Amino acid sequence: MKATADLDHEDTPKLSIEKGEKNMTDAITIHQLTKTYLSGTVALKGITFSIKAGEFFALLGPNGAGKTTAINIITGLANKTGGDALLFGKDVVKDYREARALVGLVPQEFNVDQFEKVSKVLYFNGGYFGLSRPERFNRIGRLLKDLSLEEKRDTKFRELSGGMKRKLLIARALIHDPPILILDEPTAGVDVETRRFLWDYFRQLNRQGKTILLTTHYIEEAEELCQRIAVINKGEIVALDKKQNLLALLERETMTLHLKRKIGRIPKQLQKYHPQEQDAIITIEYNPQKEEAQEILDAIQAAKLPLLKIETSRTTLEDVFLHLTKK
Amino acid sequence: MNLTGFLALTEREISRFLRVWQQTLIPPVITSVLFILIFGYSLGSRIRDVGGVSYLEFIVPGLVMMGMIISAYSNSSSSVYISKFQGNIQEYLVAPVSYWQIILALTIAAVLRAMLVGISILAVSYWFVPFSLHHVPVLFYFMLLTSLLFAFAGIATGLWASNWDQVNVFSTFIITPLTYLGGVFYSISSLPLFWSTAAKFNPILYMVDGFRYGLIGVADVPVVYSLMVVFVLTALFFILCVQWFRKGYKIRA
Repeated sequence: MKATADLDHEDTPKLSIEKGEKNMTDAITIHQLTKTYLSGTVALKGITFSIKAGEFFALLGPNGAGKTTAINIITGLANKTGGDALLFGKDVVKDYREARALVGLVPQEFNVDQFEKVSKVLYFNGGYFGLSRPERFNRIGRLLKDLSLEEKRDTKFRELSGGMKRKLLIARALIHDPPILILDEPTAGVDVETRRFLWDYFRQLNRQGKTILLTTHYIEEAEELCQRIAVINKGEIVALDKKQNLLALLERETMTLHLKRKIGRIPKQLQKYHPQEQDAIITIEYNPQKEEAQEILDAIQAAKLPLLKIETSRTTLEDVFLHLTKK
Repeated sequence: MNLTGFLALTEREISRFLRVWQQTLIPPVITSVLFILIFGYSLGSRIRDVGGVSYLEFIVPGLVMMGMIISAYSNSSSSVYISKFQGNIQEYLVAPVSYWQIILALTIAAVLRAMLVGISILAVSYWFVPFSLHHVPVLFYFMLLTSLLFAFAGIATGLWASNWDQVNVFSTFIITPLTYLGGVFYSISSLPLFWSTAAKFNPILYMVDGFRYGLIGVADVPVVYSLMVVFVLTALFFILCVQWFRKGYKIRA
């Protein structure tokens, strides 16, 4: 089911916000989920969304928006105040055993016993999720190989590099081969090479059928990996749609004209495009669906500006994110 | 029921203290030997028999209880607090294990450590002062319930504590003074009336006294009182742990 919510901004087209429903085919169903901490802080104000099985889904929001609270409720690290959270139809409170077995969490913090060896961390966690010893050894071998951690098998957690620690958190979340994987800032603090490696690995897991919920500060990461994106701000979902549709929200391009010298006034041929002038730079924002770049270029030529160079840029997901969360 | 999860958690808790056995199992035995040498041999030689037994024989049960109390409490309080501090408590909070399975795993490890320490102190003491086991069921009852009681107390403190100092507050300001004043080194019948009455409000007295009865057959308090006091206290701390874990006190937001 889809509904539209009109955000009160003249430049913003209608946003589509999907309403989640309790659906057995959904991997994650969040319905009117609320959370008020004992301090009185309202972290979630009744959020509703659902993630289909096999989807790669991003939950974006500024610090304190409620992302981690939502994840913590889903995984059993926080108690909800109201509403429902279901994993493949299993309630995370009433059917907590079944629900928890369906999900693996990669947390933002390194929440591992600092003195435990890599293989032991995985061995015990596999046990917590009910895997027999042979199953554990089998999964440990496979995950250490997949994540290039084989040589670190007997290394204590505290002696690993930042990137290796991230990889171990991912291996730990996957030890029981859950159908749902939740990634909370999974590439924070890793180098570019490792980040690319992990992105490929996440895509591979998604292709194999895992449903992935990602929260990240790297908007580029969400843009790169996810099919649908929800933006959460101050405990509310302010946008939820396919990546392309969200980008279309701010379907704008910017033409930047670098001049040889400051001209002091905007030529009349350009005035209808409401350009901004600062020093010797003029910027023109336009909607490519309404105005053609050629038309603007013709106007620039007619104005006979002392041009040095012209640059154009498109809206990024980051622009959309900032636009939505600054309200 | 996730029996494998429970067993894995128990294995992890046991391996946690076994991998540093030099810090967890040996020090209480050395401390007890020092007490035997100082109080038993050196000063104790000038003290007449207490309740019909030698002073050395009199202090051994108290030393065993003291070692077991500190071991059980240290194990569970440090495990819970360090897991909270490092965040790895979340490993089993997100796993399909119930809160009572978590409590049971923590408790089994703490009781095992206390039992290993208690039996080691008994064995070493026997070398200094041979004794016969007076009443094995009573002896075992006090070893088990005292370990359970302080395992639960340790879990509760580990949950409650927000910093390492708070973990130590309970042991420094409550357990240690009450243990030393709990009849480990003297019989309360030798105290003036006021102090012997006051000593009866000290719960550790009943553990030491009951265990002493089981080991050497000497007691200041009727053993049935001691059996009941220890049982009630253990039950109270168990209920506290269950309530706090069920609510996720200081571990689930």
